[in-house]
Amino acid sequence: MNLSAFRPVLRPANASKYPIANALRPNAALQRTVTPATASPFSSTSRMMKRKKGKGPGTDPRITAIRYHLSHPLTPRPLHFSRLRALRHWTIHRAWLLFLRRRRWAEERDLERQYQAMRSACEHLRLMDANGNLVSEAEAGGQGADPGVIGSGGKEVGRLYRAAMLKRGVWGSVPVEYARAQVDFPGREGWNHAWTRD
Amino acid sequence: MAPVKPSARQFSACFRCVRGDASFNGAPRRFLSSSAAREELQTTSSTSPPPPPSSTPVDAAKDAAAPKETPEYMKQWGDLDPNAVELKRDERRLIRREGIQPIGSRRRRAIIARDSAAKAEQIPFEQLPYQCFQEARKVLLADREGKLKDIKTQITRIENLKAQDPAVSGGEAKKATRLRSMQNHLNDLIVLADINDPLVKKKFEDGEGDMNKPIYRYLADQKWRKWKRLVLEQRIEQFNLVPDLLPALDPIADVDLAFGRKNIPIGDFVDSAISENPPRLNVQTFERGQKLVTVVVVDADVPVPEKDSLTYRCHFIASNIPIAPDQTSIALSRIQQQSRKTENVDEQQVALSWSPPWAHKGAPYHRLAIFVLEQKDAKALNISEIKNEKRDGFILRSFVDRKQLKPIGVTLFRTKWDESMEGVMQRNGLEKEVDVQFKRKKIEPLPYKRRTERMR
Repeated sequence: MNLSAFRPVLRPANASKYPIANALRPNAALQRTVTPATASPFSSTSRMMKRKKGKGPGTDPRITAIRYHLSHPLTPRPLHFSRLRALRHWTIHRAWLLFLRRRRWAEERDLERQYQAMRSACEHLRLMDANGNLVSEAEAGGQGADPGVIGSGGKEVGRLYRAAMLKRGVWGSVPVEYARAQVDFPGREGWNHAWTRD
Repeated sequence: MAPVKPSARQFSACFRCVRGDASFNGAPRRFLSSSAAREELQTTSSTSPPPPPSSTPVDAAKDAAAPKETPEYMKQWGDLDPNAVELKRDERRLIRREGIQPIGSRRRRAIIARDSAAKAEQIPFEQLPYQCFQEARKVLLADREGKLKDIKTQITRIENLKAQDPAVSGGEAKKATRLRSMQNHLNDLIVLADINDPLVKKKFEDGEGDMNKPIYRYLADQKWRKWKRLVLEQRIEQFNLVPDLLPALDPIADVDLAFGRKNIPIGDFVDSAISENPPRLNVQTFERGQKLVTVVVVDADVPVPEKDSLTYRCHFIASNIPIAPDQTSIALSRIQQQSRKTENVDEQQVALSWSPPWAHKGAPYHRLAIFVLEQKDAKALNISEIKNEKRDGFILRSFVDRKQLKPIGVTLFRTKWDESMEGVMQRNGLEKEVDVQFKRKKIEPLPYKRRTERMR
């Protein structure tokens, strides 16, 4: 593909529109523009300079730059494969997907196992009295949504469980607003009026 | 000038022209991926080239050449196959030494030569020596082994559940539900076991898949749903088949319509001369097992000028037609002929024979919808009862309800007045209707009213 059309504009050395560029340009270039009579047919002049004058305004250099960077030769080409090559590619791709799926599955199982271990440990704490003995469900306190409820067994049953369920310091220095994902619009129930800090 | 072999690029550009009449067997070749399929067809045709007019050319040439005693320098030319000579020089030599003309065009011969050369050195696809590919195959095969084991376990589980007392499994209904969901899981496993096989993919793309196998049915279904069914859904909506003809429609079978050798895209206008004879349907189901279907053709736009409204007309009903995933063709004309031959009414399949679709001159187009309706539990319907259905004012909804049918496929074509319509109508006893012409109702203009300032 000929990308010369997308090449970014190299400003002509003698462009009077850009005084700073004129001030910065090297002396050699200045001399060359002063003596056009010696211009050789094999000049290294940029295309802009060779353009015919008076053709009206060209394309906006910004647009050209954007187009250039959008379709760069380094952009990967689409895959064009022969029949069997494509089939081999497909095979490898499927095997890779299968591998990813298996790995994801294993990770999920691992997380699940860890969660279940934590959960059973907490349950154990909840049903434990001060002496480390197992108590019945009636004696133990509440679990889940109301861990603070104390059962008939008294305060000593499941003390460690209640301590573990405390959420104090979980948010540390992070504002509690970040407990909810920040989105453009408020939730369906705009304000939870019932909320208190306990 | 040195003989120049044509490049491979030229060949690939002209595979189509060499292929011959393979695709003109009338049936649209389905579920093929285009370029690859062409290549495969090409190789098959090259292995069995069309026989030359005389007897086998090589033998004939040998017979002719043997008494002449070919000179030594001619023997050095080597083996010259009239099917595969591609250089001008070799052609001349073939004519000179064997005395026979090369077969077909040079282009065709070049392709055959190249193909046979490529065939000779082919390694089987699964043995191609690419490391990553082979590793991938190992992974896939291991996965397949696991899936096969799962299938075995699932089958045992299903058998155990079947043997179980319904009281233990929580009632008959619950047991049936569990059995169904387990069977669904088994079907999924069977598909998943094969879905990663590159050869299965290749076979399917070449159209060589066996539709009795679940994996090919699954792939064909996926392919159908990806494009053809979307188009069909759009046509159903655009032409208001729902709710004009049926309250709801969920097509699960692919239906192709063709009149003779002419394939009709869904909803296309069909010339009345072409639609005078019954069409050929190609119904591809994606579910296992044979089904009995009823085919009904309904015209949804029959004008009733007296009432200034429209009604329906039935053009064709045939029942008890068996279809299966590998038994797709329903040639209505053949069915009609067979029904005419059989004397016994119960063995006939056509209840209402084909009446060519027609439209009045000046009237808008008629929609001719073709429904494929599955009969309940694959039970045969009574043809003599269906013969009593009236053609004019045929209500498809009530027919479907009465006969307990389930629409599984639909296609559509349109008809309107054209040059051949007059002849068609005269041949089919509609001479009275030929001269009827529909015209747009003239709308009386409103009485003149002076434009006042207020109206502006």
